[in-house]
Amino acid sequence: MKKPSLLTVFLIMFFLLVTLLIAKSFIVKIKMTHLRTEPQFYARSLAVLKNGENVEQIEIQGGWIKVKNSQGLAGWIHSSAVKPKKIALLQLADSLKTKANADEVALAGKGFNKQVEGEYKARNPNVSFAMVDKMLRIEVSSSDIKSFLKKGRLGEFRRGE
Amino acid sequence: MKNKKAMILLLCCLFFILMILNCSVMEESAGIFEKVSKVVTSDKETASKTTKAVRSSFGDISEEEEYYIGRAVAAIILSRYPVYKDDDLNHYINRVGKAVVFHSDRPETYAGYHFLVLDTEEVNVLSSPSGFIFISKGLLKRCEDEDMLGCILAHEVSHVQEKHGLQAIKNSRLVDAFALIGEQAMKKYGPEKLAKLTDVFEGALSDIAEKLIERGYDRKYEYEADRLSVKIAAQTGYDPNSLIGFLETMKQESSQKGPKGWYKTHPSAENRIRRAQKEVTSLNYHSEKVPVRSIRFNKAVQGLH
Repeated sequence: MKKPSLLTVFLIMFFLLVTLLIAKSFIVKIKMTHLRTEPQFYARSLAVLKNGENVEQIEIQGGWIKVKNSQGLAGWIHSSAVKPKKIALLQLADSLKTKANADEVALAGKGFNKQVEGEYKARNPNVSFAMVDKMLRIEVSSSDIKSFLKKGRLGEFRRGE
Repeated sequence: MKNKKAMILLLCCLFFILMILNCSVMEESAGIFEKVSKVVTSDKETASKTTKAVRSSFGDISEEEEYYIGRAVAAIILSRYPVYKDDDLNHYINRVGKAVVFHSDRPETYAGYHFLVLDTEEVNVLSSPSGFIFISKGLLKRCEDEDMLGCILAHEVSHVQEKHGLQAIKNSRLVDAFALIGEQAMKKYGPEKLAKLTDVFEGALSDIAEKLIERGYDRKYEYEADRLSVKIAAQTGYDPNSLIGFLETMKQESSQKGPKGWYKTHPSAENRIRRAQKEVTSLNYHSEKVPVRSIRFNKAVQGLH
């Protein structure tokens, strides 16, 4: 068998390293989520992850990702709570300083935000947000939803699951 | 000769990797700069330039922006309809809703999904971006069991999952918004920029509210939500045939009702039944009657008046 050339080895190593750099980091894109002991929404919470926090991927299982947070704590989060951390490859040609992309706009809380809502409220006093805030306070606890699913034989508690 | 070539390539690779690492670090530091409000002028300009270039469609609306849009559309809905004040019923609807949400492809939104019953005899169900979902008393009265309720809520969760509400925003408004946001690198807006951005915000809200309340989503989005809701309901453990059962009820009633609420904003139940039936058949789902579900559903809705 022909021995692979030094060039091939370098190329493989290079692509492996680039893939490694690009694929492993995520940013929390929602207000907050939990780092959980198992890939289930009602599993015990190990830590709270806030908007903008970075996590490192360990493994993927269905829609769930096992990650490590900045304190080195490992647990599960749902993929819809995070987005891959982009490395600004495409911006290289422009300049090293052009780094404020859509992610950073989001993290900086720009765009339609609390301040814009405040201005909208001032213009539209007939539109009340009090009931919306009340609606947001309706919470279903992890133990409550687990028992609801279990009794109703839903989700993982379905017959034959 | 060959070794020399390889060495040059290795150096190029190393240089490229260093560039990537450098960019990555720069990205992080930019975030920190913004947080402490110490962005230098040159950074502001480049940030503005890139923001304009990067954001161009509804898909570029951030989770937080979607939340503020969804909140305001929810507030508009709640300024037109009163809330049905029954904590137990609202709590029950939220449990069924969450069960369905957990089995969707987008179970996490900026502040999560929340469900509320509207005190109106009008048959209606509405979903605002980011997960604010409303179901009318009139519709609940036509709901036979928990499985049917699960299917109806799964349909609304599908609209949120696929961001159908955000797609109602006119693209020209988004272009204006992204340009305005891009011009201002800092978190707080001055009065002039704030006024302009609020104009665009108001426009976006009226685009969505008009679709939701007055005209309804495009047919293709309704059919897509039906298709997805069949899948989500089955994954949750609810009988997807219940969606067809619900549509059959609507079909029978549609001839007697005027053009209001659900009848006005949704495509004909007949077309939907045909398509949904095809989806359910392809799933090969075996329904299971669970008495607990019927008991808790009846208990939750018994006080409806």
